Amino acid sequence: MSGETLIEVRNLEVRFPIVTKTLFRTRTVDLRAVDDVSFDIKRGETVGLVGESGSGKTTIGRAILRAIDPTGGEVIYHTATGDLDLAHASEAELQKIRPNLQMAFREGGVALHALAGEALRLFRPRMSLVFQDPYSSLNPRMTVRDIIAEPLVASGLMTKRDEIDARVREIAGRCKLNLEHLRRFPHAFSGGQRQRICIARALVSRPDFVVCDESVSALDVSIQAEIVNLLKDLQEEMGVAFLFIAHDLSVVAQMSHRVAVLYVGKFVEYAPTEKLFFTPRHPYTHALLSAIPQADPDAAFEPIRLTGEIPNPLAAPSGCRFHTRCPFAKERCSAEAPAWREVAEEHFVACHFAEEFDFSRRRG
Amino acid sequence: MADEGETGRMLTVENLSIGFRTDEGRIDPVQGVSFSVDRGRTLGLVGESGSGKSISTKALMQLLPGTAILGEETRMRYRAKDGREVAVETLGRTGEEIRRLRGGEIGMIFQEPMASFSPVYTIGNQMMEAIRLHRGMRRREAREFAIEMLDKVGISNPRGRVDQYAHEMSGGMRQRAMIALTLSAGPQLLIADEPTTALDVTIQAQVLELMRGLQDDLGMGMIFITHDLGVIAQIADEVAVMYLGTIVERGPTREVIRNPQHPYTIGLLEAIPSLDTLTARLSPVPGDIPSPHARPRGCPFHPRCSKAIAGVCDTRAPVETRAEEGRAVRCWLYDEAGRSAA
Repeated sequence: MSGETLIEVRNLEVRFPIVTKTLFRTRTVDLRAVDDVSFDIKRGETVGLVGESGSGKTTIGRAILRAIDPTGGEVIYHTATGDLDLAHASEAELQKIRPNLQMAFREGGVALHALAGEALRLFRPRMSLVFQDPYSSLNPRMTVRDIIAEPLVASGLMTKRDEIDARVREIAGRCKLNLEHLRRFPHAFSGGQRQRICIARALVSRPDFVVCDESVSALDVSIQAEIVNLLKDLQEEMGVAFLFIAHDLSVVAQMSHRVAVLYVGKFVEYAPTEKLFFTPRHPYTHALLSAIPQADPDAAFEPIRLTGEIPNPLAAPSGCRFHTRCPFAKERCSAEAPAWREVAEEHFVACHFAEEFDFSRRRG
Repeated sequence: MADEGETGRMLTVENLSIGFRTDEGRIDPVQGVSFSVDRGRTLGLVGESGSGKSISTKALMQLLPGTAILGEETRMRYRAKDGREVAVETLGRTGEEIRRLRGGEIGMIFQEPMASFSPVYTIGNQMMEAIRLHRGMRRREAREFAIEMLDKVGISNPRGRVDQYAHEMSGGMRQRAMIALTLSAGPQLLIADEPTTALDVTIQAQVLELMRGLQDDLGMGMIFITHDLGVIAQIADEVAVMYLGTIVERGPTREVIRNPQHPYTIGLLEAIPSLDTLTARLSPVPGDIPSPHARPRGCPFHPRCSKAIAGVCDTRAPVETRAEEGRAVRCWLYDEAGRSAA
């Protein structure tokens, strides 16, 4: 980790309009899937994103990648030189994107949220995505070689066949795929091998940033460990930054340098992994940690009782969104939304009473 | 094999083998599995995908598809509520006897409650059907009983919820309703097939606590199927670890997790990421789970095993050796008395 910021997310907001039509009128309610989220990702760093279903993890990942257009806030991408690498763009292409580029450049970074058209297309190979289910994310009618090569072809990054072949073989080797298997079709592979193909496809364009959306959740434990190790190795070799989205906290703990906890579209806590897991400050983080059953029959399993269910984001609770389930909630919590503040170095929390809690865990 | 005569034994399965005829030839996803369940106790079945854990329990209710072939030496003895012993393997897929067993004697909870509930009937309607069938209650009585059961599994406002459809409930609530539905038929043996896998951790904790409490109240026996050793550690009294259709190790949960013997169990426990050692590198079990069409000869685990003995493990399947009380391991590294032979 070089400590250099790669991506800055500022006040990111994603709203989906939910339209309900009745006979006489149409009502539109905004679902705030992501509400005022700010954080940054350093070059070569893994930021973990945890939260329960519907908390907005996937939406944040996709909004950064511009697979979904954010409705508010900024995403700034800092390139190494402060400039877009347009070496492969033709003169005609440059002409086409120039007006857009000027708008997009800001403070030494590229305003990802404002990129559009050709400029966005040229930018795409710098970012990538690994999905959850390796069975449904590979086209059964393409060979492994073609699957891995597709990002290069689609973005026009490379056009010569032997050049593409060389790159595919290099990346397949790094992902510990058997090069003999490149001519086969995905059905011949097991879940773990398929996920390696997906990782190779994501890394073939040498991106700076990859979103891993529950990328190891569908795998068996014995295979999962191998993929986690592979991702760590690739990060060390290639210096790629990961946004690692998962609902399984123990996997996130292994992968990430820093971890953010999400609850109904808002960050509740963001801290270096060590701090978040051993000295959490937010009651929700504490409850999540206590709810994980450990494979240790002597470890006390006393999950904090969270009453009720995760609230519907269409009708998010007032004040602190967690107050309806929080065992420590006071009057102030339902009236006033807590500020996002730094309680210790690099340790951010959104809770009125963060300083009063001691949730420190004993190290095993 | 199992100790008979022990009080409270409600189910004994011996030598369960299941085969399927497929287009690509015969596969044998379950081979010679034996286990037993006592009243008020929980047996955990752990294994990865394709280990045969779900299909073994489907055989108990004669729910296997028509292409399945049950092994000739398979014995499944179930002691019914009225004290009779039922030989499940001799029952057909239809008929009065198996219908009484399904639901009324042995209940089942599945992973995805949305797929188990009918989307076109209300929760209450589906519960009342089971209650009237198995408890012989009248419609009005059954409705009251359904409301009572929903209340018991911790669903707030059960009187209102009873008339809702499955899609109107959240995931955790649906799984609670599924438990209420299963229990309303009054089973004495509960088979829970990955009941918490699709749930968020905080909801999983709630459901596990609920199931433990209900088991204490009702004294049911339980078979809990999961791939998560963490969940097993919290809920099971005994555990059987399955790999490619055989039980490779079994014993009291505490003992097996504290002191695993089979190389697969050891590998599995080491592969689990822990919350206490954040920086340590994970140690995966090398290799992939073989497809059922290419089941390795000899010990099914030998291609992935670091301790495999050439000429032994790859040619002959190990038999089960018993160690201390209640523990057994199926591995050539252990001799007759279950001591390490290596």
